[in-house]
Amino acid sequence: MYDAKDGFYQALWPRSPRQSKIKPLAKRLDTLNGKVIAQVWDEVFRGNEVFEHLEEGIRARYPDVKFVSWKEFGNTHGSDERAVVAALPQKFKEKGVDAVISGMGC
Amino acid sequence: MPSSTLVGEGFMSLAVAASRGLGMPNLPVARVVGHPGVQSKEQLRKNVLEVTLQHVIDNLLNPPKAVKGESEPASRDIVVEGSFDEINDYFYRHELSDGLPIVPPTPQKIEQFLHYTDRDPGESLGNLLPDSRAATIWSIAVNGVMAGCRPEYMPVLVALVEAMADHGYGVEHSGNTPGGETLIILNGGIIKQLDFNYTQGVMRDGFIANTSVGRFWRLYLRNVAGFLPHKNDKATFGNTWRVVIAENEDVVKNIGWTPNNVDFGFKAGDNTVTISRHTGGNHISSVSGATAEELMPYVCDAVVKQYSWQFMFSVGQGYDTLRPQLLLSPIIAETIAASGWSRRDLQKHLFEHARISAREFERTLRDWTQKPTWDLAGECEAGRIPKVYYESDDPNRMVPLVWKPEDYMICVTGDLTRNSVYIFAHNGVLGFPTCKQIQLPKNWDRLLAEVRK
Repeated sequence: MYDAKDGFYQALWPRSPRQSKIKPLAKRLDTLNGKVIAQVWDEVFRGNEVFEHLEEGIRARYPDVKFVSWKEFGNTHGSDERAVVAALPQKFKEKGVDAVISGMGC
Repeated sequence: MPSSTLVGEGFMSLAVAASRGLGMPNLPVARVVGHPGVQSKEQLRKNVLEVTLQHVIDNLLNPPKAVKGESEPASRDIVVEGSFDEINDYFYRHELSDGLPIVPPTPQKIEQFLHYTDRDPGESLGNLLPDSRAATIWSIAVNGVMAGCRPEYMPVLVALVEAMADHGYGVEHSGNTPGGETLIILNGGIIKQLDFNYTQGVMRDGFIANTSVGRFWRLYLRNVAGFLPHKNDKATFGNTWRVVIAENEDVVKNIGWTPNNVDFGFKAGDNTVTISRHTGGNHISSVSGATAEELMPYVCDAVVKQYSWQFMFSVGQGYDTLRPQLLLSPIIAETIAASGWSRRDLQKHLFEHARISAREFERTLRDWTQKPTWDLAGECEAGRIPKVYYESDDPNRMVPLVWKPEDYMICVTGDLTRNSVYIFAHNGVLGFPTCKQIQLPKNWDRLLAEVRK
């Protein structure tokens, strides 16, 4: 409730406009068989082991899947992370990548 | 391209907030059970195969949910009107304040701040992640009002946001696990013009310029960059914001040294802000000795003891991005200078004497923190790090914390008559030192004279 002794103020929005617009996501795959999956890693929280286990599990269901190791792409959370991330699209193209698994957000 | 992002279950709310900021609120994530850092090999394998695996497959094969954009108020919209308490209640409930009362950002107050810059209110200094919001001059004024700043601080606030928006600083990492907090160091004649404290208690609240500008930094991170606790800010413990430190340039000049900002390419006397993120720090008491040689063993030992996992910013997660920050009380700086040492001599001494064994360096990063590599010999042979890290096969050889002497940052400040040093633990690439010049409006002297009346 307005309290006359406490003044009267009109306060403005302290945020500023978002610059990002909604981006449509890529169409999903129909199967992982015959597809190439890239692993992208920030080199923390045992992602190397997690990727090994994921490879094992995916191969058991989709035997013809192929993986491109995180070692091919560089550290996405290191001192040159902006350059590493900027180079990903071209590297994916060169390696015929169909889908990406990225980690570790911990 | 279809993707699946691996996210620890404690970071799901961050994933939601960050995806929204990037314009992909339906970005599919796969849950990583618990935290891998405290799981046995067997537990980790079981969790991945029983939970994460199915999420990954679903994310790559199943169409994501449809989403719509969300509407928000415009920059100059009045979002609430009423009493002081009502304004503060609204701002707190809508996550627009830090929990302390804010000064209501009214159109009149905002205009007062805009008088102290020649820049257009609509100008953007950059796009701040993770919320992807424009760092406008207008929003700087609004948050400056809220923080309790005085209008004449506006040129400092603008320079700070310019530094925040600099990619080299890495504002997007401001919500990372260690919860480092930004240290702001002020240089130049503006220190005295705006009455910043640069002597006793320089890191203590109680001085309106130091305190309110420090608070502004955190409010701007919250409201414009988007770092809200429990969302984009995932500091495990966190810190509150730091008050601004100002260097004692009188002492620096008297001893023939150069101020902090000269190391960043500016001239002595330039008005600048320097920002860097630190996870902690320690006060080193009773630093005693009549010469630099007598003082420095204690200081070097204290520097080494302030650092452990942060070695990863020298070798590994970051390369040559560790920048230890030291504050020297004036009489310590004077004693070192009286021994004939320049600021560069001091940096060289720290580089050569603040060292640890290669065994300890590698053990911290490889064995204790479960990082995948960090073999100094291998890194050196691959040409990724300097030879100083592998001059022999002796595991007890002493290696530096940083790559080169000038990586040590020095600031002279604090109580004029106390023999103390403060050492900050730097957060490396996740808050890399960045220095910006403070641009004053053309009629600065007149505006300042009016304030002083």
